[in-house]
Amino acid sequence: MTSLLNGVRRTNSLIPLLKQMKITFSTETVQAAPLAVNTQKVSKAMKAYLERAQEHDNFMKAQTIEFQIGKRHLANIMGADPENFTQEDIDEAIEYLFPSGLFDKKARPMMKAPEEIFPSRKAAEFDETGRPFHSMFYTGKPNFFQLLHNIVAEIRKAQYIEDKMIQRGRLPAETDRLDMTGFAWLSKTDLEKILVETISDLEYNNFLNTMNRLAAQPAAFKCREFALQYAKPLIDQSKISEIPKPQFDENGKQFITTYECLRKTARADVTIRFPGTGKVTINKDHDITYFKHVQSREQVLFPMIFINQLGKFDVEANVEGGGVSGQAGAIRWGIAMGLRSFVDSDVIEDMRVAGLLTRDYRRRERKKPGQEGARRKYTWKKR
Amino acid sequence: MNILQKRVFKIHKNLRFLPQKCQRNINSLDQVDVNQQIKETKNLFEFEKEALDNEDFFGVKQLFTIKDLFENRVHLGHKEGSLDNRMLPFLYGSRQGQCIFNLDITKDYLVKALNVAAHIAYRDGIIVFFNRNAFNSHLVERYAEEAGQFSHTRFWRGGIFTNANIQFGSITRLPDLCIFLNTQNNVLTQHAAVRDSAKMSIPSIGIVDSNCNPSLITYPVPGNDDSYQSIQFYCEMFKKAVLLGKEKRRDLLQYNKN
Repeated sequence: MTSLLNGVRRTNSLIPLLKQMKITFSTETVQAAPLAVNTQKVSKAMKAYLERAQEHDNFMKAQTIEFQIGKRHLANIMGADPENFTQEDIDEAIEYLFPSGLFDKKARPMMKAPEEIFPSRKAAEFDETGRPFHSMFYTGKPNFFQLLHNIVAEIRKAQYIEDKMIQRGRLPAETDRLDMTGFAWLSKTDLEKILVETISDLEYNNFLNTMNRLAAQPAAFKCREFALQYAKPLIDQSKISEIPKPQFDENGKQFITTYECLRKTARADVTIRFPGTGKVTINKDHDITYFKHVQSREQVLFPMIFINQLGKFDVEANVEGGGVSGQAGAIRWGIAMGLRSFVDSDVIEDMRVAGLLTRDYRRRERKKPGQEGARRKYTWKKR
Repeated sequence: MNILQKRVFKIHKNLRFLPQKCQRNINSLDQVDVNQQIKETKNLFEFEKEALDNEDFFGVKQLFTIKDLFENRVHLGHKEGSLDNRMLPFLYGSRQGQCIFNLDITKDYLVKALNVAAHIAYRDGIIVFFNRNAFNSHLVERYAEEAGQFSHTRFWRGGIFTNANIQFGSITRLPDLCIFLNTQNNVLTQHAAVRDSAKMSIPSIGIVDSNCNPSLITYPVPGNDDSYQSIQFYCEMFKKAVLLGKEKRRDLLQYNKN
């Protein structure tokens, strides 16, 4: 049991230290008896923390002094003014004096202020008397359990609102529900980042169950703001597959441009115009003969052949990177995507089934050591 | 009156004055501390003596009546079949197979428990509220926070008290008082924190129902530990007692300053 009179005893060695460190405590905690602080009693826990903090402080001080001296030396070597030697100058000097061929930039030599290199320490979770700030400190995961507590408080709020509605003779409507469509609850890792605590799978499940219980309340519309703090919007899939409407150019022709047509390492943007004469322009001053092989030319024209509209569209493509078949494939995909705006949905479905609208993600397979290529082996005869 | 009722009556008469024994124990404990520092200030010593000599220094007796206990269903125990024999002294009898607590006894024990809680709050102690009933846990957490104290209503990881320095990563101050609003966990065996606080000589207050074992609890309070209403009543009482203790402390420090 703590004694009342302990408060009078002053641990003289630690109080100046406390003042010097300027420890600030969060206000969002249990009101930890302001009286205790007034009496300036320092517990074992705080003493241990202060010792650790002072050790860290001394270490950082020594590092800072070393850094300052190093900086001056470096400035003198480079013939610069040591007083106005900035971090940028240091980086330049290090790169000049210690050139490194290492690929990873983090692995190259560097010189930075100690605050940037050594991680900052966690502040004390208790006051001078050793009294924790958080009311659920002894659970070991105060932030997580506080979150569960807060969710239940929201559930109670929703139930209260529902009760009030029923008292007024009105049942909660569909619009009074918490609409979470298009949102998913935070993943375990995201939640852990917010809470700054590691939680087990079971605890994460508890979080999901409690959140779902909140979302299932008939009158939880007022809890939306709270719930959204712990939800993430889902990526809108329908927007990606939306078909753009053709635009009109200065000649009154319809046109559509598809950017970012990718195949292997080739990249293209393709414009198709309707009505047209079947003219193909590649990189402004080439026609279909840009491709030497018939196969590549067939590739480019295949979408139009597939929908029986060859000769009715003009194609303008800019393509770069990759090889012949890659470039042809990129243009083919761009044309097929553009044609969607000019045909009906049945034809689009046929094109999809034929694989014209599918992005081909295959890349070149690397050569293996001890082999001639990706798969081919060197010639080998036993005898 | 059946056999059970007779037996209960006999035993409880003998044990009626147990709480006062407990009270003497606290006083003697505190006296040790006082003697150590008697030379430093006489003024504070007088305050301390006043607090300890006065049987009801914080006025916790006025906080409730036996009628309040009855209205909050404190008298309701479990079925006879689940009775723990150590709870017999606190029972009035049984009605339709359900144990009924003697509220006269409960009142004495609760007053002593509230007095202890107020004394600990007066000395700026850490008080942790325990409860393993999921239905009541939000309530208990809320009251603990309102009282400026602590709560633990979740799964008890072993070693929070007995291995605290490892569990919390550094030296940690342990609670000065544990208040168990039910002393059993969610599978109806004894809460491990009851044993752990006894091991670490942390005094404990526990609401013990007719199926509980009171022997490891320092200040047992016989009563219903299941219904929402009675738990709310206990929380309210302990919160008030803690706030009374804090108020007295504030007055004392104010006086000390001037």
